[in-house]
Order: sequence, then C-alpha cells, then structure tokens
Amino acid sequence: MTAVEHVPATKSGWFNSKVFAKLAIRLGAFAAFAGIMIYFALTARGFTSTYNMINVVEQSAILGFLAFAMTVVFIGTGTDVQKGGIDLSIAANAGLCAAVYAVMMREGYGNFVAIPAAIGTGMVIGFFNGLAVVTLKIMPLLGTLAVMNIAAGLELTLTENTVVPVQSDLMNVLAFGRFLGISTLAWCLIIGSVLLVWAVHYSKIGLRLYAVGGHIEAARAAGINTGRYVYGAYIFSGFMAGVASILIVSRLSSSTPGTGLMLLPILAAALLGTVFSRRFIPTIGGTLLAALFIGFLANGFQLLGISSYWVSGVQGALILLVVTVTSFAKKH
Amino acid sequence: MTAAAIEMRSINKVFGPVKALDDADLLVESGTIHGLVGQNGAGKSTIIKILAGIYRRTSGEVSVFGKPLDQITPASIEAEGVHFIHQDRLLVPTATVAEAIFLRNEPRIGPFINYAAMNRQASELLKLYFNLDLNPRTLISELSTAQQKIVQITRALAHHAKILVLDEPTAALVSKEVESLFSVLRRLKAEGLAIVFISHYMSEILEICDVVTVLRNGTDVGVVDPSEVGIQKIVEMMTNRNTSEMYPRRDVEIGAPIMSVKNLSVDGHFKDVSFDIRAGEIVGLTGLLGSGDKEVLNTLFGQISPDAGEIILHDKKQKFRSPVDAVNNGVAKIPEDRRAHGVATGLSVGENMSLASLGQMSKNGFVDRKKEAGVIDGLIRDLGIKTPDRHTLVKNLSGGNQQKVVVGKWLGCNSEIYLLDEPTVAVDVGAKVEIYNLMNRLASEGKGLVFVSSDLEEVTEMCDRVLVIYRGRIIAEYKRGEIDADRLLAAASGAVTDTERKRA
Repeated sequence: MTAVEHVPATKSGWFNSKVFAKLAIRLGAFAAFAGIMIYFALTARGFTSTYNMINVVEQSAILGFLAFAMTVVFIGTGTDVQKGGIDLSIAANAGLCAAVYAVMMREGYGNFVAIPAAIGTGMVIGFFNGLAVVTLKIMPLLGTLAVMNIAAGLELTLTENTVVPVQSDLMNVLAFGRFLGISTLAWCLIIGSVLLVWAVHYSKIGLRLYAVGGHIEAARAAGINTGRYVYGAYIFSGFMAGVASILIVSRLSSSTPGTGLMLLPILAAALLGTVFSRRFIPTIGGTLLAALFIGFLANGFQLLGISSYWVSGVQGALILLVVTVTSFAKKH
Repeated sequence: MTAAAIEMRSINKVFGPVKALDDADLLVESGTIHGLVGQNGAGKSTIIKILAGIYRRTSGEVSVFGKPLDQITPASIEAEGVHFIHQDRLLVPTATVAEAIFLRNEPRIGPFINYAAMNRQASELLKLYFNLDLNPRTLISELSTAQQKIVQITRALAHHAKILVLDEPTAALVSKEVESLFSVLRRLKAEGLAIVFISHYMSEILEICDVVTVLRNGTDVGVVDPSEVGIQKIVEMMTNRNTSEMYPRRDVEIGAPIMSVKNLSVDGHFKDVSFDIRAGEIVGLTGLLGSGDKEVLNTLFGQISPDAGEIILHDKKQKFRSPVDAVNNGVAKIPEDRRAHGVATGLSVGENMSLASLGQMSKNGFVDRKKEAGVIDGLIRDLGIKTPDRHTLVKNLSGGNQQKVVVGKWLGCNSEIYLLDEPTVAVDVGAKVEIYNLMNRLASEGKGLVFVSSDLEEVTEMCDRVLVIYRGRIIAEYKRGEIDADRLLAAASGAVTDTERKRA
C-alpha cells in the first residue's frame, strides 16, 4: 500500500474559492439591481409611481416573452454562447410574424386565421433553425444568423418596409384591457412566466432539456433523443416569437419595421438572467428579473432625460460583462 | 436452464479497411462479475460500444436474457436493463446529484416533478448502496471523481439495472474508494446482477472477477478463471509474444547525461519523477491510460509547468515557460495526435518541415528559399517520405508519411532531446519500421530520446531503458536485457505493487 500512493486531484483548494466567487457574483448582481433601482428612485422623478412601475412591467412583457424563448434555446443547447446554441433569428422572426399577422388582418382574414398563421410562421422559422443546427450541423451562431436574414427579408417583402396599421377588438383588449387593476399585457407576462416555470423547472421535459444542454453526450448516454430536444427548443422559440408578435402589433396598433432591433436587449436579458441563478444557468425566474432590470434601466434613463441611444450601449456592455464574468467564474 | 444475461456471438465490426472485431464472442451469466481484458486496440471498447448501441455491428448476434436484439440504440438497451458506467464520467455538470440519478425516471405528481421525493430517494439509495451521506442537491460539478462514479452507478441501480457494464471504473479512484466500489459490486453480484468489468489493472481483475474473457486483435482468445490461471497466464494470452524482424538493431555507445529530471511533480498527475537521458539513449516511459506518462512528457516540453522539482539540461537548471522555451533549448516533441498538434495538413510537405526551423534558413528576415529547398529535399530523401514533391499538401499523404513529416520537421532544427509521444499510433507496419529506423538514427547521432508508448512490444524492443509509471509514480525501471512485455504489463497494471503489498 505504501509503495504507491495515488496523487488525488486536489479539489478542496480551489473548490472553496470557486464557491465564494460564484456567491460574490450572484450577490453582486442583486446588489447592482437594487443599487440602480434606489438610484433611480432618488433621482428620477416619478420613477417609483405605481403608474410608472406598471408601465415598465407592460413594456417588459414583450421583451420578457422573447427572452424566455432565448432562455429555452440556451437551456437546450448549452449556455456557452461561443460554443453552444443561440437563436439570433428570434427578433427578426417576431418581426416577420407581426407582418404576417398585420397583412392578413388588413386583407380581412380575422383573428381566427391570422393568429394561427402568425404563430405557424414563427414555428416554421424555428424549424429551419433546427434544420440548420441539428440536421445540417451548422454552427448555431452562423445558422441562425442566416435564418435571421431570411426572416428579415421576408418581412420587408411582405410589408414593403412600411407601417401596416391594424384594428381589432382583441387587440384593444390586449393593449388597453385591465383585470384586477393590472393590464392585459402584464397578465400575459405573469401567466406566461408561471407556465414556463412549470415547463422548464418542474416538468420532466424541462429537466431533460437541461441535461441535453448541460452535457449532450451524457444526455445521449442516458437514452435521451437529443436532436429532438434541440429541434424542440428552436421550434418553441419560433412559437414564442409568434405569440410576442401578436402583443407587438396590439401595442403599436400596427406592424412596424425595426422589430429586429430587439435582438440586443433579448440577448442581454437572457444572458444577464444566468447571473441570478445559483448554478449560473439560464432560468425563467432569472430571465424575468433580467428583463425587468433592462426595462427599468431604459425607463430610468428616459426619466432622467438621458438619450435613449445610451441604452443600447449599456445593453452591449452588459452582455460583455456577463459573458466575461460567468465564463471567468466557470473556469476559476 | 435460464438464458445467459449477455450473449454476443461471432461479432464482426469493420471500420474502413480495419477489422476491429473478428468473430468475437462474449457470454456473461447472471450473478457473476465478468472481466474483459485486452491490450489497447484489442477490441474491448468496440464490443462494448456495439452492446451499448453506439456502434452498429457489421455482423453477428446479440441477445440479452435470451431475447435477440437487432437494432440497438442507447435508449433501447437501457430498457432491457443493461446500464453502462462509461469511463469518462458522462454526467451533466450543472445537474444536482438527485437530478442526475433520476434523469429519465423522475418521480412525479401529475405533471410536476416531485423534487422532494426525488431528493429523498436519492439520499436513501446513496445511503443504502454506498453508505454515503451526500446532499442530493449538490451539483455534479462540485463532486470528486469518485463521487461522480458513485452517482453513475446509483443511477443505474435506480433504473433497476439487471446488467452493469463498467468501463475502467477504477482508473481515477484511490485505493480506499476502489475497496468500497468492490464491496458494492460483490453485493450486487450476490443479488443476481450480471456485471461486466473492464480494467487494465490485472490485480483488480484477479481480486474481483469470476470469469475473464481475453481479447486479442479483435478475437476472444480465451475465457478463463483468473484465480485458477493467474495474472501471468492472462497477460501472455493478451500479448502473445511474437516479435518479428520489425525492430532494427542498433549499436550505439551511450554517453553522458544530456538532461536530468529531478523530483518533478505536477499536482494531480505525477509525483517525484526522476531520471536521466543520456546521449545516444532511448528511454521508454510507459504506463496505463491516465498514469501520468504523457503529462511527464508535456512537462519536459514546457506545456505544463511543474509544481515541484527541476529539469537540468547540460548542467543548467531550466524553466520552460512554454514550448518555445523548450524548442530554443534544443528540445523537440513529436506529438501523438499529429492532425491536432503536429502538422498543418493544409500546408505542403515542404512548408511543414521548415516551420520549426525557419530561423536557420532565413537571412535578414527573409526566408532563403534556395537553402530551404535543399534542406527539405534532403530530408524527404533521408526519411523515405512517399510524396511526389515538396509542394504536395500533407493531407494527401498516408498517415505514416504524415508522421514522418512531423519527425522531419524537427530533424531540420537540430534538437538534442527528442520527446516522442506514441509516434507509431495509427500507422501501418511499413511506416512503423521507418519511424524505428529514424529513432535509431537520432540515437546514433548522439541525441537523447524519450519514448512514450503503450505498445509494450515496441517499448521492449526499442528502448535501452524503460521506466514504468503507475498512478503518477515511477514504480519500476528495467534495462535492456531485463525488459519483456509481460513484465512491463504486470508492472504497469500494478501487479508489482500487489506483491509489495503482500510483503508489507
């Protein structure tokens, strides 16, 4: 026994510092959130008013839905943006769905045809992402970028780059309706969050999706049909783009070019969300928090009279910061 | 009479021109621990991957508990109660212990996963089988290697495994953990499970297995009771010594040490490694997968920085911060995976060979193309590289010739120490001989060579001295004349320590 003493991989040394670093980052994220909220509360007039708070939640609903979709793609394909999966097409897809919905409404098809058509369009685009990434094995960053361009091109073809105004009763309910003092959009966010928390965190499908994204070989070895899950994540992302597009059209009473610009805040929210979770993985709760954070940030800037152009820069910086910090924490 | 747990008959598997399995049989009964042994490339992992549904067999029959299985997928074989504990710990790092154990078998209340029950049951199983108090909410990435192995086995048991296949389960475990794993395996055997145990460690095979199937060159060459025939006999069956005229002889005067390694240690890989490399000497370094032999080589080349000890080159202490430092001090390395590290396959033969020695061929910052061409053509001729000319792209050459390009790349730069990492892997016999000739030529020019290889035959035949490394330490050293493959394999498998253990 004494002749050979195995040199065990020392785990205790960095283990504690790693746990500490993770805790520090997580607490830091919450502290930053709280700090910025307090700063706005003190300096931005009207920030804390109930009206403003509800307004931010409403504004965050659309971002939240799309960020949830991105979160599900992250979960199923690995959070490492550089190697894992991503759905760059999601914002352009929502724009295309909005165009399909608005044009069909203009042509007089009605909600019963136009809504399924919009959501169906989103799912087809999602299927193409799955095709590119799973079947054709194209790097997700490139595959979904290509699909993004297809979606953006189709949107422009449909709308000829113009605003397509729409009117319907359902849209009035979505945009202006209230229930128990809370607006319909906010209700959509609440109900959507609850459903997704169940699907992602309390259903067997959610757990298996995490396994596929966490270690695809391990998931395959456990007998999971991994390709089907990744396809599913992309098609779900397209479905959410379709749902969000109805909310977008309702809110603006039209389909407007430029929905594709939402990609940056969507990415920022989904990535920032990982910092709020214990395991540094994408979660529905974390993404919701992050989407609200980004909503409050934009709102606070607006109230302080800072140019909205800064918001985009801050979102870009947030993405860099989060990716750096989490990849650093995972390595060390 | 009940059917055998696993019955694999006349299994053939062909990869391109290579026959990985040649009419191999494997018959495993319930209530036994069945060893599967063979040298690297004998077909152990291929036959297991066929059973696991990762590879599709070319021909042959597989049945589990008497039920013939045609198309096997990882999911379908699990449904038959066959579970695999893979060598690389296939677990999701971001999952908790309970989630990993119950993945695809989650306790539920309606549409909800019952996390409370899941955590409780995970705790109970770990306690029951391993007497282990482990918080089921701990993340897999926070577990030690041994704990991860335990989680994998617990997962199989939670899924009511009837057959367990363990691929090198002890490779990363310390002795105490091996003991507790064995006691669990014995209990499972008593409960009637069939267990297939794949290991390079002969002492473990002897300790735990009831029956052993020996594979050699893709065929089963024997099914024996290890306690009856003993380790030596099994090792002989594995190696079947027959050394042909593959190994050219050389007569070289061995000179003074060029490089000395003193108490070199890298935490987690190897400890207190000391040896000399003399002029004209080929020093073999061999051990099982993960024993630390490759890491020693990487440390000598500056790819890993040592935690303790020193490297002395020509009486001067050296600190290689990177391979660049090593190259500048006359140390060259021929890496194992030539596609990944050794050769730029998209460049031409000539470009590859001059990459390492451009410094010698350039004047005032410009490459002297004439001089370069002369040196390279000479090398191509000397090495017998089969290429139309120096402009041919390396990716169009055969594996053996690619390897010769890698060697040639370093020959051009006049190093003194050559570190060779499995230089003959995936190379045909003819090219092997030419690589051996090259090694002899380097030695006769007074260079010092360190030769890492798991092919014990070539180590035996080529080296002046062989150091055997086992779990990170040099445990045996043999000089030319005392070296033989059986002895090396026994030492590398820990059989030497086994006798020392008895002595102690």
